[in-house]
Amino acid sequence: MQIMVIGGGRVGIFIAKRLRKEQHAVILVEKDQKTATEIATTIDALVICGDGCDPMVLEQAGIERADVFVAATGRDEDNFVCCQIAKEQFKVSRTIARVNDPENEKAFNELGIDVPVGATVILGKIIEEEASFMDFMNLYSFEKGKLALIRVDLPDNAPVVNKQVMELQLPPQSVLVSIVRGNEVIIPKGDTVLLPNDYVIALTLLENKKQLLNYFIGEVS
Amino acid sequence: MYIVILGCGRVGAELANLLSVEGHDVVVVDKHPESFSRLGDAFNGLTVVGNGVFTLVLQDAGIERADIFCSLTNSDNINIMASQVARGIFKVKRVISLIYDPRKAVFYKSLGLDVLNETGLFASMIRDKITDKILSGYLIETNELGVMEFPVPEEFFGKRVEEMSVAHEFNITAIRYVTGGVFIPDAKTVVAKGDVVLGVVRMRSVDKIKKMFKL
Repeated sequence: MQIMVIGGGRVGIFIAKRLRKEQHAVILVEKDQKTATEIATTIDALVICGDGCDPMVLEQAGIERADVFVAATGRDEDNFVCCQIAKEQFKVSRTIARVNDPENEKAFNELGIDVPVGATVILGKIIEEEASFMDFMNLYSFEKGKLALIRVDLPDNAPVVNKQVMELQLPPQSVLVSIVRGNEVIIPKGDTVLLPNDYVIALTLLENKKQLLNYFIGEVS
Repeated sequence: MYIVILGCGRVGAELANLLSVEGHDVVVVDKHPESFSRLGDAFNGLTVVGNGVFTLVLQDAGIERADIFCSLTNSDNINIMASQVARGIFKVKRVISLIYDPRKAVFYKSLGLDVLNETGLFASMIRDKITDKILSGYLIETNELGVMEFPVPEEFFGKRVEEMSVAHEFNITAIRYVTGGVFIPDAKTVVAKGDVVLGVVRMRSVDKIKKMFKL
């Protein structure tokens, strides 16, 4: 795929390097001449010096061939504008924007950016979960956070321990995906029995997450 | 009217003063509190310190009940984002944004924003001053219409306004009398020596009209 990345800061460079490793063609656009020259020597991608919010720069950098557009600068207004130009003027089918300030997430979500990524909020959620209880963890969110893949560690006294999978009565809109026992991953069948210290991995709608946790490990505050 | 202005630079401060003196409720938002010193003594509105792309700051400025939002900072991208937040999230009915980059201005006009392109406007004003004493193209932003102003040529003394108009190309809209005073004529109004006519012209007909009146 052809991927255009705007912003040669730490985030932009990290993304560009990872995409190169996966054999994607990457064009990185950086405003500052000195930074752009430096990056060009360290990375195996086309680096262009220019303002990524300027339609002419984007055109010269070859945006018409880009399949994906990633705005990763440290300024939210710049990320917002260049994604909008990429999408509306150059018809790039997928635009992804870094959201630096959590306060701006609503604006990005409601004003037509395909995938706003708020690193601060994501980090905050992970830390909050790690800090609040160690026995479950959000592994991944889909569909703008509506659907979540979660991991739950079963304590000895969990209400589901020693039950067969077919006896479980999971809350609506939840699926048991797998059971991890030591180093072994088990795809659950009806007669699989849950044991203490198993991890279960389940897919659930966010609104049912608490219900699901209650079911697996007892009352959670 | 309740008006929120983002950006207390020269343009923002001047506008805030004008509107405040006219009795409107004006709130000015700026990142830098020291910029509020540009507001004159006559300014009796409110000031809010903060980054205006943030919904919370705009809420502090009362954007939910604003009739008009003007985005006038010196950053195009802030103006663009803030005006879309005002329009899309807070449903402000009238949103005006200042965009300096002419290409971005064209693009965002096509997305339906009410855009003022200061650079383009000033450049065409200056151009008109330099190249053409009788024509102003900047007044009407579409670039399709201009305004011409010239003294009635001799062969039209005593003629009617309708005889000086060209359907779909040139229309006289006002007459400035030599004695002073401006008058909006109808088709039968007669022009005399010394009168200056003002008319709206299609830009692509300018040369034809100039030829017609030997300008």
